[in-house]
Amino acid sequence: MSHKFWGLILVTMCLGGTAKAHPHVFVDARTGFIFGTDGQLEALRISWTYDEFTTLILFESLNLDQDGNGQFNDADRAAIIEGETNWDSAYKGDVYLEFAGQDYPLGRPEAAAVTLNNNQVEVSFDLPLSQPVRIDTAPVFLRLYDPFFYFAYTIVPAIDPTDLPEDCQAQIVAFEPNAAESALQNKLAALGREDIPAVENVGRLFSDEVQLTCG
Amino acid sequence: MWLRFGVIVPCIWAVGVAAWGIVPWFEIQRWAIGEQRTFQNVMAGALRGIQAGDPQAVWTLCSATAAYGFFHALGPGHGKVLIGGAALASGATLKRLSILTFLSSLAQAATAILLVGGLYFILQIGSADLADLTETWLAPASYAAIAAIGAVLIFRGVRSWHKISQAKQATHGCCSHAHGPSFNDVATLTSTRDAVALIASIAIRPCTGALFVLVIAARFDAFAVGCLAVVTMGLGTAAFNLAVATSGVVARRLAGLVARGHKGMQAISATLHLTGGVLIIAISVGILLSYLD
Repeated sequence: MSHKFWGLILVTMCLGGTAKAHPHVFVDARTGFIFGTDGQLEALRISWTYDEFTTLILFESLNLDQDGNGQFNDADRAAIIEGETNWDSAYKGDVYLEFAGQDYPLGRPEAAAVTLNNNQVEVSFDLPLSQPVRIDTAPVFLRLYDPFFYFAYTIVPAIDPTDLPEDCQAQIVAFEPNAAESALQNKLAALGREDIPAVENVGRLFSDEVQLTCG
Repeated sequence: MWLRFGVIVPCIWAVGVAAWGIVPWFEIQRWAIGEQRTFQNVMAGALRGIQAGDPQAVWTLCSATAAYGFFHALGPGHGKVLIGGAALASGATLKRLSILTFLSSLAQAATAILLVGGLYFILQIGSADLADLTETWLAPASYAAIAAIGAVLIFRGVRSWHKISQAKQATHGCCSHAHGPSFNDVATLTSTRDAVALIASIAIRPCTGALFVLVIAARFDAFAVGCLAVVTMGLGTAAFNLAVATSGVVARRLAGLVARGHKGMQAISATLHLTGGVLIIAISVGILLSYLD
């Protein structure tokens, strides 16, 4: 009984870890995979469409649209790109590519662009892989999540999908609460009494993912 | 005495764990987050309406912030755990707890208004820095204060168990009359001091959503409207916390039904202090640790 009780407390603490703040920022994310001519995966294309409220906050915090015409000028776009993609090295852009069971190292954003549609800011950029990699039948997982859940990402289908090699498939797998809950419970059940659960990757249990396979 | 302790504590905790297990937390959270997103977008639309001079927009904004406050309160924070734990442990009436709940939410709104009024207007600190200040300093401070209240509850629970067992020994020794602690000795939240501590620990940390509403309203030269919207947001949060407080009081009353006589009541009260305290500490420390990383 008391074991179960502490188990529940641990679950609560883990949830506290993933959700230290409630989500304040909602992001519709679109993803794409960029392959080189040699058929290797070279980069990820990411776009973040912020909710309308966050867009207003961005207007305020970056002092955008000073002429009040509702359009971005070059200075506005430059300010957004600087704030959104020139991140410090500790931050990984909330983008995680799992290759062969490990986080695959990614480079820094390139070719960033900004648009404003339906009162929502959209930022898009490419994220090169540190080394191009050949994908086979073992799935590669692309996940977008904020470990602290201040940003809530939803992966939605790309409007203008990138071309994949003929034998490759990318599929969005939406977060499914029951699966995450049971995965977390299994994780906790596997713990001995003295073990403290490693909270670091609990966030990924709650994220949407894109599965990429080739061949 | 300790035998009874050994029976009552696991029983109360088992009922709590079972009740916890029945509730589909993940589904509720997911649903609440979806609703919050909707209301956040309505808030944005209303704020743009205010900028454009639409008089209806004020009402749209206030209804949206009230709904936002309610759904946002389903997430961690906002003193819900503290209110629930205190309701479980305290001897306060539902009426008193309701007042405390409303005051703490309004105090939280007041903190947001003071922060934005002071720092944004006078010191010209931007919204990003305000949010940073809140998340880096005020949120952990609030969780630490809440955990401290949990510790006080546990201390009071343990102390009254100790007193009860001492009184029992004394009874065996001489008189037929038990000198146990009076019920008021173990009842929490009936004093002004406790009430102020509870309100302050919640109010230290404003909701960042409230800060943003105020800052955007200020940019649109409608700070007064922003203040009104933040107060209705606080009322929305209070409405949710009130439901939590009510559940706590009901749980306490149910536990009280099992107690036979004055001493049983003391034992239950002491146990509820322990339970409420452990819950508050576990959850607030869990969240606090994630800030200290």
